[in-house]
Amino acid sequence: MAAEDLPSEFDVVILGTGLAESVVAAACSRVGQRVLHLDRNSYYAANWASFTFNGLLTWIQQHHEESQPEEVQDWSSLLEEGEELIYLSYSDSTSISNLQQTADSEGVEPTADLPRPSAIQGQSEASRKKISYAQLVKEGRQFNIDLVSKLMFSRGSLVDLLIKSNVSRYAEFKNVTRILTYRHGNVEQVPCSRADVFASRQLSVVEKRKLMRFLTSCLEETEEQQGEMNIVFSLFLCDQQLGDNLEHFLLHSIAMVTEDTPTEVGLASTRHFLRCLGRYGNTPFLFPVYGLGEIPQCFCRMSAVFGGVYCLRHSVRCLLVDKDNRCKAVIDSRGQRISCSHFVVDSSFSLMNFVSSCLPPQVSMVTVPPIAAGFPVVMMVELCSSTMTCLPGTYLVHLTCQSVGSAFDDLSPVVTKMFHTPETDDQETRPSVLWCLYFNMADGLDVEVEGHNLPSNVYLCSGPDGHLGHDHAIRQAQLIFQKILPEEDFCPPAPNPEDVLYDGESLLPTGGGGGDNSGWGEKGEETKENPQTEE
Amino acid sequence: QHGRVKIKSTAQQEEEKRKEREKKLKIYIAARDACFSKRKEGICDDEALQLTQQLLSSNPDFATLWNYRREILMHLEDEVQKIYEAELSFLESCLKVNPKSYGSWHHRGWVSARLPQPDWARELSLCDRCLSLDDRNFHCWDYRRMVVKMSGVPVDQELGFTDHLIGSNFSNYSSWHYRSTLLPLLHPESPEPLCLSEYELVQNAFFTDPNDQSAWFYYRWLLGRGITKLVTCGALFLSLVFQAQSVGLLLVLDGQPQRVEWRSVHPRFKHSPVWICDLPPGTISDITNEHNLTVHWTEKHTHRDCALYTGRTESYCRDSATDQELFRSELSVEKTSVLQSELQSCNQLQELEPLNKWCLLTIILLMRALDPLGYEKETLAHFQTLKEVDSMRSAYYSDLCSKFMIENTILKMEYAEVRVFSISDKNLTTLCHLDQLLLVTHINLSSNQLQRLPPQFAMLQCLEVLEADNNNIENLEGLFCLSKLEEINLKNNNISTLADLQPLASCPKIKRLDLRGNPVTQMAKIEAELAELLPSVTDILL
Repeated sequence: MAAEDLPSEFDVVILGTGLAESVVAAACSRVGQRVLHLDRNSYYAANWASFTFNGLLTWIQQHHEESQPEEVQDWSSLLEEGEELIYLSYSDSTSISNLQQTADSEGVEPTADLPRPSAIQGQSEASRKKISYAQLVKEGRQFNIDLVSKLMFSRGSLVDLLIKSNVSRYAEFKNVTRILTYRHGNVEQVPCSRADVFASRQLSVVEKRKLMRFLTSCLEETEEQQGEMNIVFSLFLCDQQLGDNLEHFLLHSIAMVTEDTPTEVGLASTRHFLRCLGRYGNTPFLFPVYGLGEIPQCFCRMSAVFGGVYCLRHSVRCLLVDKDNRCKAVIDSRGQRISCSHFVVDSSFSLMNFVSSCLPPQVSMVTVPPIAAGFPVVMMVELCSSTMTCLPGTYLVHLTCQSVGSAFDDLSPVVTKMFHTPETDDQETRPSVLWCLYFNMADGLDVEVEGHNLPSNVYLCSGPDGHLGHDHAIRQAQLIFQKILPEEDFCPPAPNPEDVLYDGESLLPTGGGGGDNSGWGEKGEETKENPQTEE
Repeated sequence: QHGRVKIKSTAQQEEEKRKEREKKLKIYIAARDACFSKRKEGICDDEALQLTQQLLSSNPDFATLWNYRREILMHLEDEVQKIYEAELSFLESCLKVNPKSYGSWHHRGWVSARLPQPDWARELSLCDRCLSLDDRNFHCWDYRRMVVKMSGVPVDQELGFTDHLIGSNFSNYSSWHYRSTLLPLLHPESPEPLCLSEYELVQNAFFTDPNDQSAWFYYRWLLGRGITKLVTCGALFLSLVFQAQSVGLLLVLDGQPQRVEWRSVHPRFKHSPVWICDLPPGTISDITNEHNLTVHWTEKHTHRDCALYTGRTESYCRDSATDQELFRSELSVEKTSVLQSELQSCNQLQELEPLNKWCLLTIILLMRALDPLGYEKETLAHFQTLKEVDSMRSAYYSDLCSKFMIENTILKMEYAEVRVFSISDKNLTTLCHLDQLLLVTHINLSSNQLQRLPPQFAMLQCLEVLEADNNNIENLEGLFCLSKLEEINLKNNNISTLADLQPLASCPKIKRLDLRGNPVTQMAKIEAELAELLPSVTDILL
């Protein structure tokens, strides 16, 4: 963007364009707060981002390079009476670790095998053609590879918020078409909806009845369940005499919990899954077309429509804190003092590790129980090209787990079991891996919004968490918003463009923008595009 | 507040909407009036076509305009294919406005049928799209049936189509019903191998959701294939009672056609399985000779012979149907084994869902089909459960149970000629199959829950003694013209007025009447009134 100076006064300054930060930005702008939203990267969405193939390679490159320590400058000239400086130091590189690509990407144009039409089930081998690494790079713009793999629960807080705030109009979604699980060396379909159960061939009629009865009773929250609360969920399932098949499906794929989860949590999780069924289709999940990185951008766009000011490749160096330990202003990366009443920043404090890795191959969700003792549960999402995240003819597969060791140690055994890789020498029906990346990412689940000895009007947004849904980030955004503006409605429905009154008396396009006509503030303009949006 | 986007108030928005609506209405009314006047003048031009299109696209339920449009279309002779195709795509937009518009679907059918080169594949895919949006849109189902018929889609392909729809939502009567019309076309002879996979399909549905009615109804249809009840046609002579379906009867006595008046047992019946005539006086003067009687049923070209043997006043003959076949047809070995295994599946489901009414009812019906007497005890227990879990329909279950109990009692009668019929203390709430009891002279209905003796009761033409103590009878309509009835026991019932006893006056031979424990006995001067109403009675217990 232009090298002009930013306005020097805002209500809320937000650093980082991850999901929670973007939601806070949209919520604040929507109720009339002046919002400055910055990101030090050249792309939106921080660790929530989706990259083209080439974009991802650049991202890898950046993380391989040593981050240079920023020179400490003297900002004392900008200080006012009674203010103190707090330098912001970034440890972004620590949130991503153990990056590892498979050999293919290093080779000089190796010809990789191509995955089958549906990679996971390894169906027909008819349409085998070669896709080389060079082709991947050449067609790289057709990929939108998420750094975090998540799905949207169709009655989760993110979907509710998208609908309530009308932000949903900025994006398109696809239904996850099937839920699969890895069991006894095979990938099996998990019957979860009524139609699935009816059509399932692997369940006996008695199992069907038992499953449906269990699911129905889960929705009802019976007293019988209350009595069983003191045992773990897997034992509770055992007590229901459902049989191995059903126990596996319920534990791993429907409740998506571990063996030692308490019954209460397991049942709540099952209930959530079931309530999400049928809203948009036969599975409880939605996936945003063009990848998950779209979602934070949609909220940014809403913020911009309501006057939020956006600036990428722009950061905050330090906070100016008064005697009451309140942040009065920030100094940006260009040395400008910008006063603000609240400051929201993405946390780069790494606490735990969680892993995401990408493999090139219908939209399927696959649960893979621990392949051996000591290994984590792996969540696998297979995206087809109609989600606009990969090249036609290929599939994009995300594997995610709570890390035990490094991403490679945790996930490569699953990859070897399910796919054909250079390491596996057997030429059988499994889909081949074109390119593969392993990395660890810090889990943002345990980051608290406040505290950390921060000034009272500075709030932390965590990065992506290890859960499948988005509830954590949305909850966090809502919490921050309520602290900033306790009286205001959180993301009320945006009006239809035709209902917006433009100031007839002002001829300036940014009328009412405080005379600032620099082009930063864009107000009420539906046509505003995020620079990052592809196509 | 600074930076806040200003939004039109609700009042402003509504005012705008109101104005918008007013404007639309004005245009609509003008176009409508123009259409009507054009039609009056009999003008069939392009402008009329456009005007109707404009109106129908906003209101596709305007039947008069569709009629006018058809008049115009029939008038046009050039480029029929092109115009009709345009009509189809216009209709598509109308269906988007209202997918359940009678007018649009009817018009589409009309256009498709007249199209010189119809594209049925396109029509089928349109139906598929509509049904995927609403799988119960019966307009679309209707239209689809027409398309299938016109384009000759093979039956098995249509069966596959229902597979698909049932797979996506099995709570769909339309798909199941369509299936029930296709299966007999594909396999007219009800072949068991196919049915097995069919049973499997429907079992999957009711095990998945036993409370869904659609699958159960289809299941009952499937089970019922080939179990149609036989109609028995017996004949009985006496003062002359003939059991048949309808009138058109001719009586021949010893080779001589007789001129007789046939009447049903009760003036209320125009259709009846029992018909009576009085022989002209003196036709059978000597019972010392044997007489041959034949009844011809002219409508059906059948007849029945019966001989009145020397010295007898009664004679009887009946179809050779065995007792087993009275209420159900004989089952083939294959059918029996299928029904047995279905009963097992249902019992399995019942173990899991002991209170499911559809399952219980189906089990009862299966048991009836297989062995009504052997399963009597289980059937009764299931009926008891049914009445508890589905109390809204307990009266229906009671009536059904009564019917089955009466059937069982009839089956237990060793000979058809048995003259005593006793079915006391069985919780009967209704009487049926009385046409099977024409010869009974002594009937015992005590200690049930009957509320009335229905008109059909008059079929018991031989009845001499009626025992109906301890019921809730308040209506005696069926005690009509029972010429042999002598004794009536109605202790502890609910007869409350003298008018309720009026039908008894038509039975000339009543001698004994027990009315103890009925409200009517509390009336003043009841004895005198009864003596007047029923002069033949010598023995009244009040």
